[in-house]
This record gives sequence, C-alpha cells and structure tokens, in this order.
Amino acid sequence: MMLLYADNVLRARPWAVQEGHAARKLAQLGLLVAAFGITYGAVMGSFGGVFGERFWQVVYSAVKVPLLLLGTFALSLPSFFVVNTLFGLRSDFSHSLRALLATQAGLTIILASFAPFTVVWYASCSDYQGAILFNTLMFGCASVAAQWLLRRFYEPLIRRNRRHRMLLRAWLVIYAFVGIQMAWVLRPFIGNPDAPTQFFRQDAWGNAYVSLAHILWTFLGR
Amino acid sequence: MLKWFRQLDSILRGDATRMSLLSDGQIQTPVAGLSVAVLLLGVLYGLCMGSFTMIRTGGEAYMQLIASAVKLPMLFFLTLAVTFPSLYVFNALLGTRLSVLSAMRLLIAALGVMLAVLASLGPIVVFFALSTKSYPFMILLNVATSTIAGALGLGFLLRTLDRLVVVQESLESPPPRPPPLPESGKQANAATTGPTAALDRAGQITTRRAKSVFRVWTTVFALVGAQMSWVLRPLIGCPTLPFEWFRERESNFFLAVLQSLVSLFSW
Repeated sequence: MMLLYADNVLRARPWAVQEGHAARKLAQLGLLVAAFGITYGAVMGSFGGVFGERFWQVVYSAVKVPLLLLGTFALSLPSFFVVNTLFGLRSDFSHSLRALLATQAGLTIILASFAPFTVVWYASCSDYQGAILFNTLMFGCASVAAQWLLRRFYEPLIRRNRRHRMLLRAWLVIYAFVGIQMAWVLRPFIGNPDAPTQFFRQDAWGNAYVSLAHILWTFLGR
Repeated sequence: MLKWFRQLDSILRGDATRMSLLSDGQIQTPVAGLSVAVLLLGVLYGLCMGSFTMIRTGGEAYMQLIASAVKLPMLFFLTLAVTFPSLYVFNALLGTRLSVLSAMRLLIAALGVMLAVLASLGPIVVFFALSTKSYPFMILLNVATSTIAGALGLGFLLRTLDRLVVVQESLESPPPRPPPLPESGKQANAATTGPTAALDRAGQITTRRAKSVFRVWTTVFALVGAQMSWVLRPLIGCPTLPFEWFRERESNFFLAVLQSLVSLFSW
C-alpha cells in the first residue's frame, strides 16, 4: 500500500495535489517521509557497526533524518502561510502545502533508493571523512532530483498565478536557511567510530553560520 | 479573541482594502480589535526574541524575557505615534480624502501585516536561540526578520495608498470615463480628448507626485522604526551583561548592525 503511494509520488501523479481529503493526504505524505527517512537514516547510522552499543547510533540516525526534514518543514511553515495569504494565494495554500510535502516524501524515497550504495560504500571504505562526504553527495543528488519533482508538482500552481514561482523561491531560501542549522544541531548523523554513541553532541551545539563565518575569516585572514 | 484575528486575516487576504470598499476614499478596517491582535502578536515575538538570553543564562534572565515582551509592541506603537502626524499632513497636502481616523486605520492595518509576518518567523528565531551561542548572530537574525516584516508591511501600505489615489482620481474626474482598472496606476488613455484632457493630465501629475511622496514617507517610517529599536534596546539582551530596562544614549542602529557584522566575522 505504502509502496503504491510512493510510486504515485515519484511519478508526480496528481493524487497528492488533487482536491479533497487534504488532511488525510497530508498525513499519508508525512508517513511516507517518516518511513523512508527512517530507512535511509538507519543505513546512514550503521557506519560504526550495528551490534552492541553501536546499535543505538542506528536508531538515533533513523529518528533524526525524518526529524530533520519534518522539523525544518514545521519551522518554515508559519511564515510561508502568512506570506502566501499576504500575496493573495490563500485559496491555493492547501495545494501548495501538499505539493511541498509530496516533494519531501519524494526526497526521502529517492534517498532510500540510494541506501544500497551507502551500504556498499560503508563495506568497502572505513574512512570516517569519506563516509561524511559520501552521505553529503547522496543528500545532494536526492535534493537535485527532488527539485525536478517539485517543479512538476508546482507547475499547475504557477500556471494559475505567477506569484507562486516567487513564493516558491522564498520558501526554498527559508527552508535551506533553517535546514542547514537543523542538520548542524542534529549531528552526528553518521557516528564517528572513535567517539562514544550519543544522540546530540553536547559540546558541538553551535551555529552553522557562525562557524562558517569563522572558517571564512580565518581562511581570508591568512 | 478569534474575532480580532479574523479581522487581521481579512487584512492579510486583502479583503478589507479591496477597491470596492475604498470607493469613498475612506478605510473601514476595525481599529480596536486589530490593535489588540497587533499587541498580542508583538508580545509573542518579543518572547521569541528574549528567549535567547534566558536560554543562555539558564533561566536567570527571565526579566529580559518580560522586558522584550513588553518592549516589542511598544516599538511598533511608538513608531506609529512618531510617524502618524506626518503621514496625515502629507495626505492632506496631496489632496487625498483620507480622514484622520482612516489614516490611523491604514497604519494599524500595516502594523497588523508587519507583526503577522514577524510572529510567523518567531519559531525560526526560537530555534536559533536554542542552538546558537553567538550574540551578534542573533542580532543580525532579528534585524533580518524585522526587515522582511517591515518591507512586506510597508509594501502593503504603499499598495493601499496607491489604490486610494486611483480611487480619488476616479471620484474627481467627470463621469463619462471608463472606471479605472484595479491593477493599473496609470489611467487609460481613452478619454484624452476635449476639455477633460487638461484635467486628466493635471490629475496624472498629482497621482505621480502623491505616489513618490508616499514612497519617501515609507522610507522615513523604516528609518524611524530602526532607530526606535535602538532607543528601546536591549531587546534581545546580551547574555554577559546585567539586565537593564534601557541603556545609555550612544551610537545608533546602523553603526550597531555594522559592528555586529564585524564581530560575527572576527571572533
């Protein structure tokens, strides 16, 4: 049943964005994000092994991937709602909401389909930095592929009113801004084999942008 | 309470400032209910803003939380009080028929838009307050959210004022003219013959002048708002400094933002 929904999302069938049963469709899409996010997260966290204490890293990572996506989504939503209303697009809001969540679902499905690659990579290479890079690459590829899906879901909206294109860009900016910090806060996703297993890195609770500014500054100041 | 927010919602949707409702050159949005909604949203965002210091000091700086919740609505209402007389005077000078009450309604409506946007960005501010230690970053983030909210609110104000000017023109011009389209500020060129042509041209010049004056005025509003936030500081509260209701007079908003930028990069 779930795979059927997943297939519908991937083919950008209008199922998700059609009128009617909005709440149920949102719940189904959220469930898709959770299920496929957990799948990839579990694989992602298996770098240090899956037995003993390391098992917890698998569980943590499995929880964190959907948390990252849905948390960022929830934080960015209020402002998106208000700005949509302000630009006179309230009547389309339910539609755009489902289009965005369907894209999130698509992203996790694509990610889950990459999970076997990750397993092979983990099996063949024990370098932690390499694992980070590989996962970044997987997330990058999935994001790019999901963009394509987003465009297809959003096409009817943009055809109806060109302002949707502008608001979609605004959404992507806010989403990326919050998402980057969310990913930073939720570290570690992969789990350094040399460090103890933990849900959060207490010492590393910081700000991604401040760290970036610092790195840039020291780089330029050299 | 739900009623007040429904009124705010009708402003956000643009229902309350539609062309047909502006036809007599006046604005009919409710003031009292909307002011309460503005106040509540201001308190909400103030709490989001002040949460940074409280989280960083482990709950000791709860006074800052209270101060921010009080000061943020104050910031907007004081800016309104400072800028309101000049808006009214310019309105009267340019010959729009906006009465004192209508001008007040319009400004409250614009504040409603600003605070709705600002409060909707509140969750993001709290999330960063939870996860960041950098004070300059929080300042810049709050400046950014306020800029977004201010720009959207003033955009709303400008759109409504432009509509009023268009309505004004259609009221003053002689009847055998096609009614102006809602979106076009420029009048149709259909009736530029005969004795009405000169009148039309004069009207167009007034329209253009009115619009440019309103643009200048919104800039003034933004500047006053920015400086008002400096007068009312600390709004966020530096975690390493003791709590104060107000700080000494010094410097100004723009220098302080620049300093925050510099200290973000050079720590």
